[in-house]
Amino acid sequence: MTAVARRAFRASAAIVLLAAVWETLPRLGAVNPVFLPPLTEVLTAWYDLLRTGQLLDHTQASLLRSLTGFALAIATAIPLGLLIGWYRPLAGFLNPVLELFRNTAALALLPVFVLILGLGETSKVAIILYACSWPILLNTIAGVRNVDPLLVKSARSMGLNAARLFQKVILPAAVPTVFTGIRLAGAYSILVLIAAEMVGAKAGLGYLINYAQLNFRVTDMYAAIITISVLGLLFNLSLVRLERRFSTWRTT
Amino acid sequence: MKIQFRDVGKEFPVRDSDHTFPALSGVTLDVREGEFLTLVGPSGCGKSTLLDLLSGLTEPTSGEILIDGAPVEGPGLDRGIVFQQYALLPWRTALANVEFGLEAKGVPRTERRELARHYLDLVGLRDFEARYPHELSGGMRQRVAIARSLAFDPDILLMDEPFAALDAQTRESLQEELLRIWEATGKTVVFITHGIDEAVYLGQRVAVMSAGPGRIRTVLDVSFDSREGDLRADPRFGEYRHEIWTLLREEAIPVG
Repeated sequence: MTAVARRAFRASAAIVLLAAVWETLPRLGAVNPVFLPPLTEVLTAWYDLLRTGQLLDHTQASLLRSLTGFALAIATAIPLGLLIGWYRPLAGFLNPVLELFRNTAALALLPVFVLILGLGETSKVAIILYACSWPILLNTIAGVRNVDPLLVKSARSMGLNAARLFQKVILPAAVPTVFTGIRLAGAYSILVLIAAEMVGAKAGLGYLINYAQLNFRVTDMYAAIITISVLGLLFNLSLVRLERRFSTWRTT
Repeated sequence: MKIQFRDVGKEFPVRDSDHTFPALSGVTLDVREGEFLTLVGPSGCGKSTLLDLLSGLTEPTSGEILIDGAPVEGPGLDRGIVFQQYALLPWRTALANVEFGLEAKGVPRTERRELARHYLDLVGLRDFEARYPHELSGGMRQRVAIARSLAFDPDILLMDEPFAALDAQTRESLQEELLRIWEATGKTVVFITHGIDEAVYLGQRVAVMSAGPGRIRTVLDVSFDSREGDLRADPRFGEYRHEIWTLLREEAIPVG
């Protein structure tokens, strides 16, 4: 075996094993194939969904919500976090509230969002925006506040004013921590999306999962679940890539 | 006189109390133009506080500090500081780190690059300009930090135990190099250390500090007939060393 093949094997061994178990257990009758059909049947159903274009429609609807909420969260939480982190008294004042909200599960507020914003797209994007904002906000605040004080001292000794200090030292130093928050938010955006789509949606992968289950189209349900986990995986992978590009220096 | 401390005192508030802690008291010290002065003292004697005051990052509680006859008002690029922990920006290459002070000074981009290269060359890191700090050894990082402080051409170089974190061999070679750079550039250097050998080896004069509160105890003139060969083996070196050691030791004995 070549080195590449060996690495590929090692990386996928567990997945292949899982697939094999999924395929054989229902066939052997160890689990009820009605509730857990063999993997090949699920994949056939997935292909059918893809062919008829249904899968694409639902995925598009989901991604649109997810990415809108995620992008809005980045656009609002980063500036807000920089502001709060920079003004220490403000951070001290807001900290108890931040702790409270941080420890409240976002989905607990879903009914509130629905109540206020209705069942449409607004409430779905809003709950994703809300859930994604926290990791970004908290990490940005931490990033700004935990900048090595010696770097600040050194820059101040060279006579840098507050604005230049922020631009040349605080901001670049905070980038890796902010990115950790963005990566977490990426995972949240998919997580919360599915739950939001199970309530009063007419499209989307969460809707598809729920709808298939209600109509006892079990293979379709699993097909949608697989789609969402692959989607989440790819999203996370691209964010990790991006993160690495922006923080090559943080390897001390 | 380049730098004058006139009866300088510094007190810090003690947390949760109305008392203050005197870090420095009645410090009077003159540093001559172009001089290499080392400041040696036990830990906690206020060496670094003295340097913070001189750099303008904090203000004295009493007395005054003059540079070229004018009182220190805040930080400025007429003084360059070299810290023990280098204080390099980890996201910048060696070259970009050296450029940092030049950006603060407002030097145009092309000139900046040229100057930074020149000073990296001066500290022997010409081939390492594209490296990030984490890719450099401790000694190399400190060279970059020294190049950065030299690049914006301050009159005064303030060094806060810059070689304390380095191994003995690297330290000695950097000490030698620092003397060479000092001779080449003619800067006034105030060098803080807790190492007696280092103070004697580098300083034209050694200011010995005592603690509780920090004061200048004595200022010793150090001169050798020749600095050729192994200076540390010179009998005069041993005498200076012993004299300072005795002063610091008396200090360490509790007064009661």
